[in-house]
Amino acid sequence: MISNISLGRYYPAKSILHRLDPRTKILSAFLMMAVIFLSRDLLSMGLLGLVTLALIGLSRVPVKQVLVSLRPMLFILLFAVVLNILTISGDPLLKIGPVIISEQGLITALRMGSRLILLILNTTLLLTLTTTPIHVSDALENLLGPFRKIGFPAHEMAMMMSIALRFVPTLLEETDKIMKAQSSRGADYDTGGLIARARGLVSVLIPLFVSAFKRAEDLAVAMEARCYRGGESRTRLRVMKYQTRDALFGIGIGLSSLTILSVRFWPL
Amino acid sequence: MCHHGDRTILFPFSFEGDYLTMDLENHAGRPPFANIDNVSFLYQQHGHDPIQALSHVTLDLKKGSHTAILGRNGSGKSTLARLINALELPSEGTIIVAGYDTQDDQNIWEVRRQCGMVFQNPDNQIVGTTVEEDVAFGPENLGFPQPEIRLSVDKALVRVNMLALAERPPHLLSGGQKQKLAIAGILAMQPSCLILDEATSMLDPATRTDFMALVAELIQEQGLTVINITHHMEEALLADRVVIMNDGHVILSGSPSEVFDRVQLVKSQGLDVPVHGEILNRIAELTAQKPQPFESSEWESARKAVVRLLKSAAPEKLLSVLREHQRRQASAHTLASLGEPVIRVENLSFTYSSGTTLESKALQNVSFDVRKGELLGIIGHSGSGKSTLIQHLNGLLRTQSGKVTVLGHDASENQAIRRIRRHVGLLFQYPEHQLFEETVFQDIAFGPRRLGLDAAEVEKRVLWAARIVGLTDEELERSPFELSGGQRRRAAIAGVIAMRPEVLILDEPAAGLDPAGREEILGYAARLRDEGSTVILVSHSMEDVARLSDRVLALKDGAVLLFGTPAEVFAQTETLVAADLSVPRTAVFLRDMKADFPDISDQFYTVESAAFELIRAAVGRCES
Repeated sequence: MISNISLGRYYPAKSILHRLDPRTKILSAFLMMAVIFLSRDLLSMGLLGLVTLALIGLSRVPVKQVLVSLRPMLFILLFAVVLNILTISGDPLLKIGPVIISEQGLITALRMGSRLILLILNTTLLLTLTTTPIHVSDALENLLGPFRKIGFPAHEMAMMMSIALRFVPTLLEETDKIMKAQSSRGADYDTGGLIARARGLVSVLIPLFVSAFKRAEDLAVAMEARCYRGGESRTRLRVMKYQTRDALFGIGIGLSSLTILSVRFWPL
Repeated sequence: MCHHGDRTILFPFSFEGDYLTMDLENHAGRPPFANIDNVSFLYQQHGHDPIQALSHVTLDLKKGSHTAILGRNGSGKSTLARLINALELPSEGTIIVAGYDTQDDQNIWEVRRQCGMVFQNPDNQIVGTTVEEDVAFGPENLGFPQPEIRLSVDKALVRVNMLALAERPPHLLSGGQKQKLAIAGILAMQPSCLILDEATSMLDPATRTDFMALVAELIQEQGLTVINITHHMEEALLADRVVIMNDGHVILSGSPSEVFDRVQLVKSQGLDVPVHGEILNRIAELTAQKPQPFESSEWESARKAVVRLLKSAAPEKLLSVLREHQRRQASAHTLASLGEPVIRVENLSFTYSSGTTLESKALQNVSFDVRKGELLGIIGHSGSGKSTLIQHLNGLLRTQSGKVTVLGHDASENQAIRRIRRHVGLLFQYPEHQLFEETVFQDIAFGPRRLGLDAAEVEKRVLWAARIVGLTDEELERSPFELSGGQRRRAAIAGVIAMRPEVLILDEPAAGLDPAGREEILGYAARLRDEGSTVILVSHSMEDVARLSDRVLALKDGAVLLFGTPAEVFAQTETLVAADLSVPRTAVFLRDMKADFPDISDQFYTVESAAFELIRAAVGRCES
């Protein structure tokens, strides 16, 4: 019943982007985010577009696959654009009944739309498509490590994330199993009114939670039996190490950002 | 000592245990590994009185020894394992492991490193998102330097033969692979002891054998000390020492042949004994003789002893025993000829993830029928398509090609599905996971209510189902989550039978239970059949299928391998063995008797019926 949910849109390939240190990618993603938020004019947007195209090229992920990542955000995107068109007043361009579309509204909406698109494309390219979730969690642990001194639980967060990732497929499988079992007892998840369906969900969610707690309990014991005692003095199999390519990529992204920001703030 | 043969007598008095000779000279030469000295353990329960899980247990484990610990659920076996691994600390007494006292805080990590533990549920002990990451978890926790982690991970994966799967996410592994991964995770910590806490109970027999072979190799190669907590008598036979626990006490300890020679005592603990020993003891009982010590433990000695007892028994005695048996048989229930087909499956094929890289053919051209009032057993190795097949029988999976007709309805039609589900009950493996209501009563009532029955009828059915599975009125009013594992299983079974389905499908209803619990649950299947339901029983146990079924369907790689009466199916030894299936032990034992009793038939699948067949053959031999 739950077979069409694909998790983590990681696209396996052997590209430079895939091989970059995940920390480089996280930092670059944040830099790009800032640049996207700061740019307004056509030229800087255009340059950002070029950088995005370059990233698509570097990632070796098929363009179609990249565009698919926009799909879940499509609704928010359209909503933002339409809202901007309708609410910002200015020189009227078009009048349909009580609805007035202004030039300023249209421009703001387009700018907003392209910014969102750029934002989504850049983060998915740098993070979800080319980096496995577990690498993201490792990198976050590493980057946030220094904040441990002020009590930030970097290791615990990363461990939680990685355990969640580990158990998502298991729990999905379990959900499927429970739904089948309850269907055999006459539960019906496809027809009936809202209340009937909500009641039906209870028969899935409760066993699922009970089992998740049981699993958590078992896992905690199993982790202890394997000498887990938090992040203190823990070493790692995967050691992250910056390579020359990280430096080169960093310089590339840094220079592009500088260029974009300079045309934005000191137009020719 | 204790009352032989009386199941109800537990050991209310302080019991010192019966340490057989083996323990006195237990591997005299070997150095000790663990020393459990007069250990007791109390489980503190919130709001309840503490439970005494262990009372005054004393055991010595030698280095490189292989100990099997048997006992019913709740006998304290798992607690003992957790104490050895310092996951719990004794309330009284001391445990020294590899020279370290587990009660000393400084030693905890060293004790846990040395004693790796494999748990029951393969899914709930994997931490990593890939195989190699999971193996690395232990060494990472111990702070091994990175190159050393890499080395020990690779070495461990090579040892369990899983290096090729290093990058695979765990949810794509089979149950057997997951348990081997757990072993690899322990090996990577360079342990000296392996504790298996019912580690094979969720595996099928072939995979279990494979897993235990790996364990045996590790004992050989690395001199690991192994403690195997298990319900499986076959595994206990592999150990060099068997410890039987009951109610927190060690009640018997010795070599497998010493322990399993005490057929009555072991059986009184709700445990299995090898079938040859059981047949020998039954023959001895019937002919009023006694076997020699140790004759029950080995196949060949038991076989010879059976022949001797039968030959030395007075022919008149044998004849009277046989007459008595035949008189009882005549009055007992016998199955009438097969009824009309209630389910007909014709050329059914099914493919998962068709057209993708994950495509797998689960069923190929399967045809068979299920007759009214019969108990049909379905056997097959894991992945042979059993579970895909039964999901077609109540419309959970739609037919892709071929035809499934259930009670006259075509299961591919949407309107038919609801009707089919009303009449075909399907109980999945580990059904206790589907409980969700506030009380057991409400949960059992869920199905009948969905059938649209009125309150009085619902109540009638709930009480009827509860009585069959032996749930008390008091238990019906409790939350299902407060019950013990065995009681939860019963409640879940009641939830399906309360719908009074015409056809009841049970997928491994006894999986993971101890032998006595197993026997009880399988008893319901036979009882429902006797009350007129049609029952389909999916099982890994040839013994259970052979003795309970009217007909047997054997699957291999999604296709029908054999289909017929148990006698027809289990006569095909080679075909079965090639499909990783087997012939029930009683039948093998009887076949082995052919030299002495040429006219013996091997079509008997219970100890009782095999014993009487032996007596019949012996009488026949006297007469001729």
